[in-house]
Amino acid sequence: MVEKTDSQSLLELIKKKLEDLSFDDYIVHLERGNRSQLRFADSQITIAKNWASMNIEVYAVKDSRTVAIEFEDLSKETIDSSLDSLLKLANSLPPNQNYFGISDGPFSYPTVDSLVDTEFLDFHDKSIDSVISAINSAEEEGAKRSAGVLLWDISEEKLISSRGANINTNSTSYEFTIRSFVDAKSSGFGLTVGRLMSKLDFEKAGKTAGKIAKRSKGGINGEPGKYNVILEPKVAGDIIAATPAAANPFDVDIGFSWLKDKIGEKIGPDFVTVYDDALLPNGLGSKIFDDEGHPTGRNIIIENGILKGFIHNTSTAKKAGTISTGNAGLVAPENTNIFFEPGDKSFEELLEISKNKPTLYITNNWYTRFTSYVDGIFSTIPRDGMFLVEKGEITQPIRELRISDSMLDIFKNIKAMSKESKQIKTWEVQTPVFIPYVLIEDVNITAATS
Amino acid sequence: MSSDPYDLVEKAIDEGSKLGAKYIEARYVNLGGNTSILKNGVPELGGIVRSRGIGIRVLKDGGVGFASFNEINKEEMKIAVAFATKMAELTGKKRKIKIKFSDEEIHEAKYQSLGESNKRPFEVTPEEKMNKLIEIDKTISELKSGAVIPFKFFQLNDQTEKKFIVSNEGTKIESEIDLIQIFGLIVAVNPNTGSKEQDFIQKGKSGGFEAFEYWNIDEYIENKAKILSKIVTESKEAPKGTIDYLVGPNVIGICVHENTGHPSEGDRILGREGAQAGESYLNKEMLGKQIGSEHVTIIDDPTLEGSYGFYLYDDEGVKAKPRYLHRNGIFEEMLHNRESAAFMGTKSTAAARAIGFNREPIPRMANTYLAPGEFTFDEMIEDIKKGVYMLNFTEWNIDDRRFQSKYVGLESYLIENGEIKNLVRRPVLETTTPKLWGSVDAVGRKDLLEFDAATCGKGDPMQGVPVYHGGSLMRIRNVEVR
Repeated sequence: MVEKTDSQSLLELIKKKLEDLSFDDYIVHLERGNRSQLRFADSQITIAKNWASMNIEVYAVKDSRTVAIEFEDLSKETIDSSLDSLLKLANSLPPNQNYFGISDGPFSYPTVDSLVDTEFLDFHDKSIDSVISAINSAEEEGAKRSAGVLLWDISEEKLISSRGANINTNSTSYEFTIRSFVDAKSSGFGLTVGRLMSKLDFEKAGKTAGKIAKRSKGGINGEPGKYNVILEPKVAGDIIAATPAAANPFDVDIGFSWLKDKIGEKIGPDFVTVYDDALLPNGLGSKIFDDEGHPTGRNIIIENGILKGFIHNTSTAKKAGTISTGNAGLVAPENTNIFFEPGDKSFEELLEISKNKPTLYITNNWYTRFTSYVDGIFSTIPRDGMFLVEKGEITQPIRELRISDSMLDIFKNIKAMSKESKQIKTWEVQTPVFIPYVLIEDVNITAATS
Repeated sequence: MSSDPYDLVEKAIDEGSKLGAKYIEARYVNLGGNTSILKNGVPELGGIVRSRGIGIRVLKDGGVGFASFNEINKEEMKIAVAFATKMAELTGKKRKIKIKFSDEEIHEAKYQSLGESNKRPFEVTPEEKMNKLIEIDKTISELKSGAVIPFKFFQLNDQTEKKFIVSNEGTKIESEIDLIQIFGLIVAVNPNTGSKEQDFIQKGKSGGFEAFEYWNIDEYIENKAKILSKIVTESKEAPKGTIDYLVGPNVIGICVHENTGHPSEGDRILGREGAQAGESYLNKEMLGKQIGSEHVTIIDDPTLEGSYGFYLYDDEGVKAKPRYLHRNGIFEEMLHNRESAAFMGTKSTAAARAIGFNREPIPRMANTYLAPGEFTFDEMIEDIKKGVYMLNFTEWNIDDRRFQSKYVGLESYLIENGEIKNLVRRPVLETTTPKLWGSVDAVGRKDLLEFDAATCGKGDPMQGVPVYHGGSLMRIRNVEVR
C-alpha cells in the first residue's frame, strides 16, 4: 500500500505557520489529482500520459500587502522556509490599494449535481477502446485519418481560510476532441466533454468530425467581403462567449476588455441572456466554492441583450460597491461556466433565415488575436470545414478566409440562435461554455493576397 | 518518506529496465521562481513558486508512455514507471506503425547559464523588483505627450531551473539556467478623438537582473509609450494597392517564427499536433526545394549565449547546434526530436523541449532569426517608391498549416520615393508564406540584428516555451494591400 502524503496534516502545518507569522489573512488551497491522457494522430495513439500531482496555493495578506506562493515542492523544509520568505516578501512590498479583504464566513455552500462520476475508476480500461471507436466512426464517414486527445481526471480540493472557510470537494472530468482529415486541407472537428462518462458519446464525436471532413473536400479559396455567418458552438464558444468573458473587472482595469463603462448598456439583441453559472450539472467549470472559499452561484452577466454586471471577488466587488459573485481566482476573478440561454430556432431555420444574403457556415476556428482589446478589434482564422450557404442549403466548401471584425459589432449583430446547445471546452476554449449555434449578420471577412 | 531526487531518477531507470522498457528517460526538474505584478501603479501581488518533480518517459513495443509525480518517494516513482511502461506496451501493440527513436550520440555533461554575481533571481530582493516596476510605471505616468495612458500592467518573472536528465542509454545531463522576463500591456488614448492603441511589451533572456541594463529597460519602455502616444495622435491612413514593405527585427522575428519555425517542426509535419497546433504546409518531399528568395536564410540556434531560448543539450540529451531551416531560400532542415527524426529516417536536430517535469519533450524552436545580409538601411530604402516601414506589430495570426498569415503594424511609417514620411495606422501585411519569402529582395547588415523574447505555445497540455526571434531589416516587394 502506497503511503500518500497526508494532505490534511500539510494544510494544518501551513495554517499554523501562517498564524505564527502573524499574517492578517490567509487562504490555503490544496488540490490533489490524478489525470490521464491519450493523444492520437494518424489514427494511432501517439502517447499515453499520467500525472499524479499535489499542488498547494497560499494567498496571504499583511497590512494590505498581498502575496502568494504556489508549491509543487512538498518537502516540509521547503514549505517552512518558503513561508518565511513569503513574510519577508509581504514586508518588503508597498500596500495593495486594490485589496479590500477576503470573503468572511460563516459560509453555506450550494450543492451541484454530477460533479463526481461514480464510474470513473472503470474508465481507465475503456479509454483506449473509446478512442478507437471515435476514430472508426470518423473513418466510416469517410475520414482517412484522425488526430485528437482524450483527457480524464479525478481530483480532490481542500480550502481553508483565516475567515472561516474549511471546505473540501471531489470532482471528475472527461474531455475528448477529434480532428479528422480526408486530405491535408479537408478536415472536420468533433468533441464530447463533461463530468460523467455516461454523458459522453465518442462515436458521435468521431462521426461529426468525419462527416465535416468529407464534406469539406474540394474546397476553393473564398472571396473577402461582408457575410452572414453561422457559427458552430465550438466557434461561438470562442468568439461570442468572449464578450461575457470580458465582463471581468481585472481585465477592464488593465485594458484587456471592451466592456469598460458599459454596464446597463444594450450590447446584444433581446433574446441573448448569459450567465456565469457554477452550478450546472455536468459543467466542467462547476464548483461549490471559489478561491476565497466563498460559495459559488449563478450570476447574470447579460440579460435580454443588456450588460447587467461583472463577475467579482471580494476586493473587486467592494471597489465596485457590490458583493462577491463567488468568482475569486488567486489574483483576478475567473469564470466558471459561461452559459447562454438557447435560442428558439433549429439549425435548418438558421440556414433558412440567412438564405437571401451571402452566408458562411464555420465549423471551427483558431488563433484569435486582438489589434485592440479595449475596442474589441480582432481577427480569427476558420479551420476545418467552412461552407457557403446558398438558398438555405450548405453548398460549396470554402478555404483561406479570416474573420476580421469587432467583438462589440458581432455581438450586437447576432441575428438568431439555435435551440440545440453544446458544452465546449477545447485547446482553444479553456473556459467551459454552454452555447448554441449562432447566426451573425454582416461579418467582415478578409483573405490573404496570393 | 521522501527520497533524494537525484538518486530516485537513477533508480527509475533501473526499474524501467527491469520492466522491459526499450528506452526509458527520467527528468528531475527543480524550479524556484518569483513574480511581481503591478496594475496601474498599484502592487497587486508578490508571488513565489517552488516546484519540483520527476517525469518518466518510456518506449516499449512501439508505444510511448509518460508519467510524472511531485511527491518525491520511491513508491510514487515505481507507480509512474509501471504506468509509463504498461501504457507504452498497451498502446504500442495497437499501432500499425511502431514508434522508434533515432540513434544518437550519448552525452554526459553539465552546463549553466546564470545571472551575474549578486544579480541572480534569488539574490535581488523582492523590494528592488517591485520598485523597478513602480519606477517604470511612474515614468510612463509622468510622460508629457498629446495622449493619456490609462491602462498599464506590468509583470516581472524570474526563475532558476535545475534539471537532471538520465536515460538507460547512458545520457546524463545536468543543467542550471536563470531566466528573467518582463511583460507589460500599455494602452494610449487620444483624449480628443478617443482613438486607442495597445502595445504588449515582452523582454526576456537567460541570466539575471543585469538584463535591465542590457535592455536599457527604462528608456526602452519610455520610448514605447512615446511612440504609442504619437500613433494615436499623429498617424494617418495606411496606403493601399501594390506597395513595398520594409520590416524591422520585431516583424521579421514573428515571420520567421510563425511562417518558417512552426511549419518546420517534424511532429507537425507528421500530423502529431493535428488536433491542436495543427499541421504544416511543408513536407519531407519539399526538403531541398526553393521556398523563398536567395536572400532568405533562417536559422534556429539554441546555443546563443544569454538568449531566452538557450540550451546546450535538449531534453533527450542530444547536443544542440544551429539548425538551418531555410538556406538561401531552400528548405534545408526540420526541427526534430528523436521520435520525429526516426519517422523521417534521419537524426534529431536537438529540438526536444519540455517546459516542466510534467511535460513530454516535443520539437520546439529556440532562437530563430533571419540571417543578416549585406545591405545598409539607406540602401534598402532608397529605391522604394511607395511603401511602409513597419518596425513592430500588434495583432497577428496564421492558419494552422502556416500558409496564410496576417501581421498588423504598430509603429509604421509611410515611405515615399526613398524617404520616411508620416506614421501610418495599422498597415496590414496579409499574405501567404511562399509569397512572403519569395518577395524578399534585400536583407540588412549584421549591425542591425536584434532579438525579441516571446513565449511560444504548443502541445497538449500547453507548453509555453521561452524563445527568441529576430532579424535585421527585410525588404518585401510588391505586396498587394486591399
